[in-house]
Amino acid sequence: MDIKKAVGVYHRNLLIAIGALLAVFIAIPMIVKTPYIINIFVLVFYISTMSMAWNILGGMTGQNSLGLAAYMGIGAYTVCLVVTKLNWNPWAVSILAMLVTAFIAGVIFFPCFILQGPYFTLVSIAFAESMRQFIINSEFFGRASGVGLPFGPDSFLQFRFTSKVPYYYAGLIMMIAVYAIMKKIDNTKIGYALKTIREDEDAAAAIGINPTKYKVIAVVISAMVAGFVGFFYASYIRYIDPDLMVQAKSTEFVLPAVVGGAAFVEGPLVGGLIMIPLSEFLRANYARVLPGINMIMYAIVLLVVIRFRPSGILGWYMESKFKKFIDEKILKKPSLDVLEQYELMNYGSRKEA
Amino acid sequence: MEDKPIIEVTGLTKRFKGLTAVNDVSFTVRKGGITGMIGPNGAGKSTTFNMICGYYPPTEGKIFYNGEDITNKRAYEYTNMKIARTFQIMKPLKNLTVLDNVIASCYFGHSAAKNRHEAMERAIEVLKFTGLYEKRHVLSKEMGTPDQKRLEMARALATKPEVLFLDENMAGLNPTETAEAIALIRKINESGVTILLIEHIMQAVVSLCEKVIVLHHGEKIAEGTPEEVMNDPYVMEVYLGKKEEQQ
Repeated sequence: MDIKKAVGVYHRNLLIAIGALLAVFIAIPMIVKTPYIINIFVLVFYISTMSMAWNILGGMTGQNSLGLAAYMGIGAYTVCLVVTKLNWNPWAVSILAMLVTAFIAGVIFFPCFILQGPYFTLVSIAFAESMRQFIINSEFFGRASGVGLPFGPDSFLQFRFTSKVPYYYAGLIMMIAVYAIMKKIDNTKIGYALKTIREDEDAAAAIGINPTKYKVIAVVISAMVAGFVGFFYASYIRYIDPDLMVQAKSTEFVLPAVVGGAAFVEGPLVGGLIMIPLSEFLRANYARVLPGINMIMYAIVLLVVIRFRPSGILGWYMESKFKKFIDEKILKKPSLDVLEQYELMNYGSRKEA
Repeated sequence: MEDKPIIEVTGLTKRFKGLTAVNDVSFTVRKGGITGMIGPNGAGKSTTFNMICGYYPPTEGKIFYNGEDITNKRAYEYTNMKIARTFQIMKPLKNLTVLDNVIASCYFGHSAAKNRHEAMERAIEVLKFTGLYEKRHVLSKEMGTPDQKRLEMARALATKPEVLFLDENMAGLNPTETAEAIALIRKINESGVTILLIEHIMQAVVSLCEKVIVLHHGEKIAEGTPEEVMNDPYVMEVYLGKKEEQQ
């Protein structure tokens, strides 16, 4: 059939494009041997993942959280403490870290959900800061000097490597996995509930969405991802201290999503891939010339994007001629009507089977 | 007339810190019919509406649905009870397409779609019914008032309601658009949905409603068929009387 053929061609082209992109990322560590560059990519992977965790709350649900670093810190501390004190396997502890952050987010943070808009943001900042203060003042958490993970020979079981390359691949897999989860959520019932809440809470209630319930789900998913990134970060850096949870860190996780386009699942990835190398490039090349100039230039880029493209880079791309060209000439994307008919047709044939 | 009303409101009262917005209002809605609620601005129509829909808790009074007390139900529990509403000030999901707006509704309510295909099929069905099918890929914020009002109805219908509350669904429409909206409301009613509507446009109320409730200063001053109500001297005085003086 015509529709099937057209959509088939489009799907094949899309698959080729994604495969090519993936091949580039897989090939990078084989070509580039500088640990510095590899480190930048690891930063891109874990910060983009954190940004996706922020995006499900900030972008999809419209609840601006500025305390995500606290959840990452909680995850990292759980891993470091349990591994050093109880000698558990780090991979097993990563699951524990996700459960702990989910519990803290769902139960302790629960009362904050009666707050809306800027009040929610303020409480998220206060929550992160109080978690940090609690850790600084607690002997059990190693006070301000932090906790380290044991060093030793390379071991996959301990998630411990001298080279940065294994972390590169682990980070890449983590980022892709979280992206796949977010993309799935975006298209299902939870995603529609979250987007409806973002647009209008009264309208959400009118169609039968319990806003509090879905906001808790969003916060818990966000916190679990952050907890897992905490595990990755702790295993990579192998030493953590309370500075992990400072306000500036939380803000760092918001930027890729905002610059890339918070309304899109892909936004944090695009933003992360552009902003983090840019920041590192400016630091490496200009910080010596004039201290602080890298931060100023970074800030200017940010201001320009937010002033002229508030919907982010992807927001601009979606309306550009460039996308039209790529869709029509390279990917051969069929019209929306055809895609819709294809989706409905598929459903019909599955029903019969 | 059927014997039992589908919605029954008794002694509904709402006070906002001493200001009585709605005072002791009682009425019933017949199953399968179209009931209208009219009154001058500030008469308490929207407050009554919001109480029936679970948005404001009433200070006093009870609301029954099929004989069951639903006074304390929360707004988000209504679609599970087969009741849906629209808003006077349209609340489209601005940054989503019309199709996505309706798909979101299909996922909730008493017969929620279990997967995306089911949701999409039903959404397309509802969009064809309400005449928005051609515009399904448009972002809802880019549509005009008439289409946004239609979208409000489409979103409510996607939850498969038994009772539909329409809050000033024709305000701001020109005569042609009003006629279209009236036709759509009648079509919805003929498909078996009971309707309670607030309306300012008398033409719509007269042509649609079998029963009209008139509110004034938060109190019910008349109830009956449109003819009865419009010939009621007190109603003419407080509401329609002014118009006659102008003529």
